[in-house]
Amino acid sequence: MKKTILITCLVALLAAAPAMAQVDLSNYVALGDSLTAGFVSGALMDFYQDRSYPAILATQAGAAGFEQPLVSEPGFPPILELVHLVPVPVILPVGLIPGAPVNAALPRPYNNLGVPGANLFDMIFTTGDINNLLAGNTDNVMHDLILRDGIHTALEQAIGMQPTFITVGIGNNDELGAVLAATPIDGVTMTPVDQFAFLYNNAIGALVTNTSADIVLMNLPYSTTIPFATTVPPFVDIPGLGLTPLMGTKGLLTPNSRVTLLAGGLIAQGYGLPGGPPLPEDLNFLTGEPGYVLRPEEIDIIDDRVDAFNEIIAEVAATYGLPVFDTNEFIAEIVAGEAPSYGGVVIDGSFLLGGFFSYDGIHAQRIGYAMLANALVQFINAEYGSNIPQVNMAEMLYEGDWQTPGISPAAAKDVVLSREAFEEVYNLFAPKLGNAPRIRRPQSDRSDLPTVDLRRKPRSTP
Amino acid sequence: MIVKNHRHSLLVAVALLVMPSLTWGSGFALFEVGNRTMGMAGAMTAVADDPSALFWNPAGMAFQTDEGIQLMFGTILIMPEQTFTGSAPYPGEGYTAEQIEQTFFPVHFFVGIPVNDRLEVSFSFFSPFGLGTEWDDDFLGNSISKKSDLFVFDLGVSMAYQLSERFAFGIGVDYMIAEIELSQNINLINPFNQRLTEVADARLKSDGINSAWAWNAGLLWKIGSGFSLGAVYRSEFSITGEGYGAFNQIPTGYPEFDAVLGTVFPFDGDVPIEATIDFPDFWTIGLSWQNEKLTLSGQYGVMGWSTYQELPIIFPENPEFSTAIPENYEDAAQYRIGGEYRASQHWAIQLGYLFDETGQPVESMSPLLGDGDRTSYTVGLSYFTDRFRLDLGYEYLKTEGRSTGGNSLDGFDGFYEGKAQLAGATFTIKF
Repeated sequence: MKKTILITCLVALLAAAPAMAQVDLSNYVALGDSLTAGFVSGALMDFYQDRSYPAILATQAGAAGFEQPLVSEPGFPPILELVHLVPVPVILPVGLIPGAPVNAALPRPYNNLGVPGANLFDMIFTTGDINNLLAGNTDNVMHDLILRDGIHTALEQAIGMQPTFITVGIGNNDELGAVLAATPIDGVTMTPVDQFAFLYNNAIGALVTNTSADIVLMNLPYSTTIPFATTVPPFVDIPGLGLTPLMGTKGLLTPNSRVTLLAGGLIAQGYGLPGGPPLPEDLNFLTGEPGYVLRPEEIDIIDDRVDAFNEIIAEVAATYGLPVFDTNEFIAEIVAGEAPSYGGVVIDGSFLLGGFFSYDGIHAQRIGYAMLANALVQFINAEYGSNIPQVNMAEMLYEGDWQTPGISPAAAKDVVLSREAFEEVYNLFAPKLGNAPRIRRPQSDRSDLPTVDLRRKPRSTP
Repeated sequence: MIVKNHRHSLLVAVALLVMPSLTWGSGFALFEVGNRTMGMAGAMTAVADDPSALFWNPAGMAFQTDEGIQLMFGTILIMPEQTFTGSAPYPGEGYTAEQIEQTFFPVHFFVGIPVNDRLEVSFSFFSPFGLGTEWDDDFLGNSISKKSDLFVFDLGVSMAYQLSERFAFGIGVDYMIAEIELSQNINLINPFNQRLTEVADARLKSDGINSAWAWNAGLLWKIGSGFSLGAVYRSEFSITGEGYGAFNQIPTGYPEFDAVLGTVFPFDGDVPIEATIDFPDFWTIGLSWQNEKLTLSGQYGVMGWSTYQELPIIFPENPEFSTAIPENYEDAAQYRIGGEYRASQHWAIQLGYLFDETGQPVESMSPLLGDGDRTSYTVGLSYFTDRFRLDLGYEYLKTEGRSTGGNSLDGFDGFYEGKAQLAGATFTIKF
């Protein structure tokens, strides 16, 4: 039955596909992770999903029927909000009861197949069952919500859609765990380079071989430059002592060390301060407690891993003749405050006031995703000679958030990112201890699937 | 922990404040120094037969020694209009705005005093640069500019000497005084609703006398058979001015955000600034022909906007904010033709046409000035006696519409189009 529905929908979609010049986004599928899903402030919520970069891109291209796994307010998990700015910023989940799926009955795969928390391995091999989620099990919540059928992976669903256009923005979670846990460990918090190379090559090869879509690959930003890792300084200003380096479990922090956002709560309790316990620097394998300090050499290790992944993405793109959108440079400009201004206003990567990142310090908020979408529009137009209109950033800048202008009162706590807020995010993106990704071949007993050919097949130049 | 952000926001805010300075002086040259002159589209370098020669060619004063002491004064009302049509990404397709209508009335004042039949000493006062723009409060470019006023006053003294019956030269020095006032909003992302929000009104104002010296020189050669050849050069000058920035807080409705902003911006005081503005030089050559009834004149000139390559801004008390903003203007040519028909012993009419290229690159077009090549049609009417003269002039100026083409330095892209009407009266009295 599912197969019939899927085929019917695909036929209908293909028949309805309007003829578009140069590039055809009439059946656009976005593969990726939380950035692709439109994850904002620790939540997947319809208000922001409608402003995800794939959704905006589809809108700008005039592509109707771009479907997403929408979740009602206040999102899943409940979205974070800024409750107080002074005396110190307090960020908390907006409530305890999450939103619910509102588009789960769609009888075909979603166009936006970005799965928060998914790494490259997940995109190829992990499935999800909506019935598992509806039964109250949250062990695989994002895959259950988005992939639903319990059979097909994101990659397989994308191929099944026979899209005209695909963006692939995957790999962030193959190294983000090293930043969240402040501990780069090959095979645990970071996917080994050779494994990434093998998986990425085969995943893109499968898309090229099994679809006729125009495919844009997106490389990866440095996760060490997001507010989660750059907001809290490695020192404190103590009256009478002046700027005093924090003490970590490996010694005093150097000025070029980075302290993660969650450490604010511990510092407030005395961790890292003179006379207090040292700030835990690395992931505790026994308790799962993350580390809070990235030493310069650790930053280099993580950045080097991103460089290695991006080299692989570039090589695979060259193999198949695909264009690569430079997400790395895009984010670097934002973080450096060098992004194009809007009417003299520069959106940058500063936490809370910069305008790009959301309250979780990891993901963009709607303005950031709109900027990314607009950069993609410009890239696609340049690459394919198309004329997709640019995004109206004035609407995005002045729109406000999902609950504008109100904020709900809550008890103030002396941390930047509350423990509750952090755990909500960390649970989704934390490295899976003892469960490092393994390479598996797709199961061969799925006769209802389109054949996934993992052999390399160079693609003719678009 | 948020201190870093505060500091960054202050940097952003200050950067925003100085950015409008980008276009000071750009295309702000004023050539309206007399209504007869305006009626002939300023094609006066090879004519220079009234006291407005002090602007167009000081050598012309040497041929006016037999006129006695001349006093010329008047004003020209300038009524500019400008429309803006937005494009994506900001402020977006379909967005339109119009400047608030304003009227400016720069005055001109000239005195010519003959020393003997070959030498004349003159004094002048006029505005060679100036403009004002103002947009509505809800203008989406209000963080670039809400209101701006710039005036440069030229206090000049000249000497003209007739070397022969046909040839004269003139030289002069100019004491330039600049007055500038700019206001804009400071808009920041409100962290509570992640919305771009107006947090302050900032006003940048020159303080005291900000001045510089300049010079000018001209030649006038009466070739014969009614033909004259003239040339003039007016030097560039650079004004380094002092001023202050004043900040007025705009409540956001979020008291905690307002409180934080209160610790960042000097709402209770002013921030001293210094800015250096390079004004362009100007040269022109002209050829005229005249007989008893008719004068015809044409000229070519170049405004040396290429001197305006960057704008250094200095914050004496916050040197980390000091910067030099690239401008990259280019020299711009102008073409003027004009004529006068003296219908009787008391009446004359003037007609003229001019084409004035802009020196402003498209990336510098902004709400302060969205310039383009200018075309003007002019007409004038004069009544005169032996000792008195009244000149009435009118000019219709059209600025060719231009798009920023997605290259706006301010991130404010769209299509600018403007026009202006100018009209005025000038009196001349001879003693």
